[in-house]
Amino acid sequence: MSFEDWYRQDRLPHIFCAGCGNGTVINCTLAAVEQMGWKQEETIFVSGIGCSSRASGYILADSLHTTHGRALAFATGVKMANKGLHVVVFTGDGDLAAIGGNHFIHACRRNIDLTVVCMNNQIYGMTGGQGSPTTPLGCLSSTTPYGCAEPPFDLCELAAAAGANYVSRWTSYHVKELEKAVKAGLETPGFSFIEALVQCPTAFGRRNKFKQVADHVEHLRSHSLLKAKRDRMIENGEQIPAGMFVVGELTRRNRPAMGVKP
Amino acid sequence: MKLAIDENRCKGCNLCTKVCPYKIFKEGKKLNRKGVPIPELDRPERCANCRLRNLYGRQLCGVCQLTCPDQAIHWIDEEPYEPHKVAIEY
Ligand SMILES: Cc1ncc(C[n+]2csc(CCOP(=O)(O)OP(=O)(O)O)c2C)c(N)n1
Ligand code: SF4
Ligand code: SF4
Ligand SMILES: [Mg+2]
Repeated sequence: MSFEDWYRQDRLPHIFCAGCGNGTVINCTLAAVEQMGWKQEETIFVSGIGCSSRASGYILADSLHTTHGRALAFATGVKMANKGLHVVVFTGDGDLAAIGGNHFIHACRRNIDLTVVCMNNQIYGMTGGQGSPTTPLGCLSSTTPYGCAEPPFDLCELAAAAGANYVSRWTSYHVKELEKAVKAGLETPGFSFIEALVQCPTAFGRRNKFKQVADHVEHLRSHSLLKAKRDRMIENGEQIPAGMFVVGELTRRNRPAMGVKP
Repeated sequence: MKLAIDENRCKGCNLCTKVCPYKIFKEGKKLNRKGVPIPELDRPERCANCRLRNLYGRQLCGVCQLTCPDQAIHWIDEEPYEPHKVAIEY
């Protein structure tokens, strides 16, 4: 079997725009799920609302496409009802951190045995490009026409501070690393959070000087700073250049978890 | 094994032209049914997975397939006795 067998072939091609990074992240997640050797009937995919949250509908397994921001609440229910199920959540930055912000921190606090993959395109893609809690300073969106003036959330730091057992961040450029990170998340008991920064050519790229899809992917590549390098820079007292974000495995620990099959 | 692009799925983002270490995918001019230019394959017999997949018994490289946001890239088996081009990598 390969990860292609986890797709509902009759539903493809999907609705994502040309060059949208969401498709890449689904590939990487399914490649990791495939390596776990899980049965399709014991694996559940849950998502909220947004472009990214359409993901669960393209997968050949039971899935819940829930209400906006509530993917984690539904996933908690699934896990509590049957601890034997493997639950993977797809969500977007708006879905997870804006309307679903409270569910997010409390799911981390409870350390529920879920794996959450957040496709962070730093914008509300589906509704036409409003600014989200992760829109970077100075970026244009339909609700920040003069540049975003509010500092964004760092979703990974939020997850770690709230208590998640596993946290890592990659981008749609780092496909192999992302696949490995999702696999590590699936293997870790407790709450695993994987943030994947993705390009959204339609709502974000178009407004923020990324004329070609590849320009945005190149931006993601060139602005990612490996965690090991970041730590070395801090040790040497070097300044971390503005606009860079840390990628790699950021947290891995063994806090008591909820919903783990005994 | 040989590389194939599913023309019905490809949306022409050209990300595959950026990620292949052998630069096998080239921006193409041929349009599919929806009017999207589909990438062309430049000497695809150089692909590591095409050459070695059956020998090693596992997937090799595969970065184009993982990257393609539209699940348009895959490998298919050759017909029996299909003529092969021999690729030599220095
Ligand atoms: C309760 C509710 N409020 C608002 C909306 C409208 N809405 C739909 S998708 C969306 C934002 C999605 O953003 P994100 O989660 O980042 O997903 P993306 O489309 O960017 O992948 C909003 C506000 C809704 N569907 N339901
Ligand atoms: S609007 Fe953005 S996030 Fe939504 S499908 Fe298009 S590119 Fe992807
Ligand atoms: S990455 Fe996929 S969708 Fe994009 S041009 Fe290549 S084959 Fe087509
Ligand atoms: Mg978004």
